Amino acid sequence: MDFTWPKRMLYFWIDKVRNIILRLSWHLVHAIIYLCYFTMGTVHALESHLISRGLLRKYKYLHISKINYLAIVIESEDACRTSSVIELLQWLAALGIKHVCLYDNEGLLKKSKDLILDNFDGAVLFQDNHENNVLLDQPQMTLEFVSFSDGKEAVARAANVLLMKYIKSGGTGSNWGEQIFTESQMTEALKTVGSGGPEPDLLLIYGPARCHLGFPAWRMRYTEIQHMGPLKSMTYGSLIKAIYRYTTVRQNYGK
Amino acid sequence: MLFSLHFSLPPAITPLPFKPLSHVPHHHHTLNMLPSPPVLKSPLCSTMEHFTLNHHGKEEGLDGGVEVDQTLPLGLRRETMPRHVAVIMDGNRRWARSRDLPVRSGYEAGVRSLRTIVELCCKWGIKALSVFAFSSDNWFRPKVEVELLMSLFERGMQEDTGIFFRENIRISVIGDLVKLPQALQELILNLEETTKNNTHFQLIVAVSYSGQYDVVQACQRLALKAKHGHIEPSDIDISLIEQELETNCSEFPRPDLLIRTGGEFRISNFMLWQLAYTELFFAQSLWPDFGEAEFLKALLAFQQRQRRYGC
Repeated sequence: MDFTWPKRMLYFWIDKVRNIILRLSWHLVHAIIYLCYFTMGTVHALESHLISRGLLRKYKYLHISKINYLAIVIESEDACRTSSVIELLQWLAALGIKHVCLYDNEGLLKKSKDLILDNFDGAVLFQDNHENNVLLDQPQMTLEFVSFSDGKEAVARAANVLLMKYIKSGGTGSNWGEQIFTESQMTEALKTVGSGGPEPDLLLIYGPARCHLGFPAWRMRYTEIQHMGPLKSMTYGSLIKAIYRYTTVRQNYGK
Repeated sequence: MLFSLHFSLPPAITPLPFKPLSHVPHHHHTLNMLPSPPVLKSPLCSTMEHFTLNHHGKEEGLDGGVEVDQTLPLGLRRETMPRHVAVIMDGNRRWARSRDLPVRSGYEAGVRSLRTIVELCCKWGIKALSVFAFSSDNWFRPKVEVELLMSLFERGMQEDTGIFFRENIRISVIGDLVKLPQALQELILNLEETTKNNTHFQLIVAVSYSGQYDVVQACQRLALKAKHGHIEPSDIDISLIEQELETNCSEFPRPDLLIRTGGEFRISNFMLWQLAYTELFFAQSLWPDFGEAEFLKALLAFQQRQRRYGC
């Protein structure tokens, strides 16, 4: 008897059934993963909503006093959304944040400075005249507007200031390894060129990419950084959550 | 710091790469949001016929160096791999404390983790890895701990010298090295000199380093150049400062991706200037626990981003 043909048919159908089962399993795993992420997204959105309504006890009482200086980085494409920026500032004011620095790479926020200040009651322009790095307690919110020119470009200008001082002082350092400048001197030089400003405690990034887009690097040694997503997707709940998270952080500063 | 790097490359069976059917947008409210799930294409057939056998053999390159066949894991794309990855290796002490182990064990576990990541970088085509091994702020730690770290650096460099040559790895050490023990300084200089012509991969170790220090020393170098008439004071600009930064030892001085482990969301004075447009990835796991899976997650997150570099 010839068993070859039935045997081959059997193997063929076994293979086919196995393929179907594996394909179904694959789709099932795929669907489960999607469901998990969908659920998580829904949970996050719900949480944000509950936080906004003040229904989650954990987020009701924020230690806002821990935030002396808050920086906001906005992607330049979103920086022209002045109404959204003003809404964000209103949320921050409602939370009790006193000093805010607004940054976008191209300086669009700087150009809209007057418009923002006119349309946002209760804010004045930041004056970098705080003594001993202590921010003055003011009844109104202070706003600082910075751009790329206050970052790397400012460091280059400050370097020039240091260099001119060094040459004028008849600097004798000729050894390439010898220290002739200090970090404190650079900080002072940056103030001289108008790009001093305090180090933010917390930096919130509104944009698609999780990077600070050239925010003045000298000022963010120990700054907490939170990526908030695009400005158009901002929510009050996510803002509170980010601030709450910061207030629970404990820094060792390398020690 | 590095102990007996061992690159074992056995034959591996890997599935055909799957292409995503569609891009799944993801919304981020906090840095703790997980990335969107990978969209996978179902296999046409489950049999072994559709799996390729890749032998990670070693082949001699034309220049006599060792060429390694690299296969990327599922989902990673070679054309968008970061060229330079920077890592803040945080969490060694917490790792040890959580296991009731001495701090030394945490650092030694961290060394093993670093070894794994270096191996993966070499395998996946990343050209440079910068690691924040010891900050200028770390000098304020207990003396015993500082001495332990210095001895770990010294021992690691001595033991792994052979590996660096065999795997064509260039070692660069950046930071204020004058504060280091003399023996370690000499070892570093020797290792940098002897590996400077290695081209396959560069490991940049930041020791006694801070971002502010890097900027200041760059300005210092420019000041001395101006004093000696090599440049005019008015020539000092962003470009000249960048040329004097210590990361200029690399062909890719600006990291594309920064990973910080340990659950902290800050850069702690690391490469302040260089990280302007770097993708920031903050991982919850402690450094000794940061392995291939976590590294893959970071790289996938990087590849999913739209980065405009300030444009």
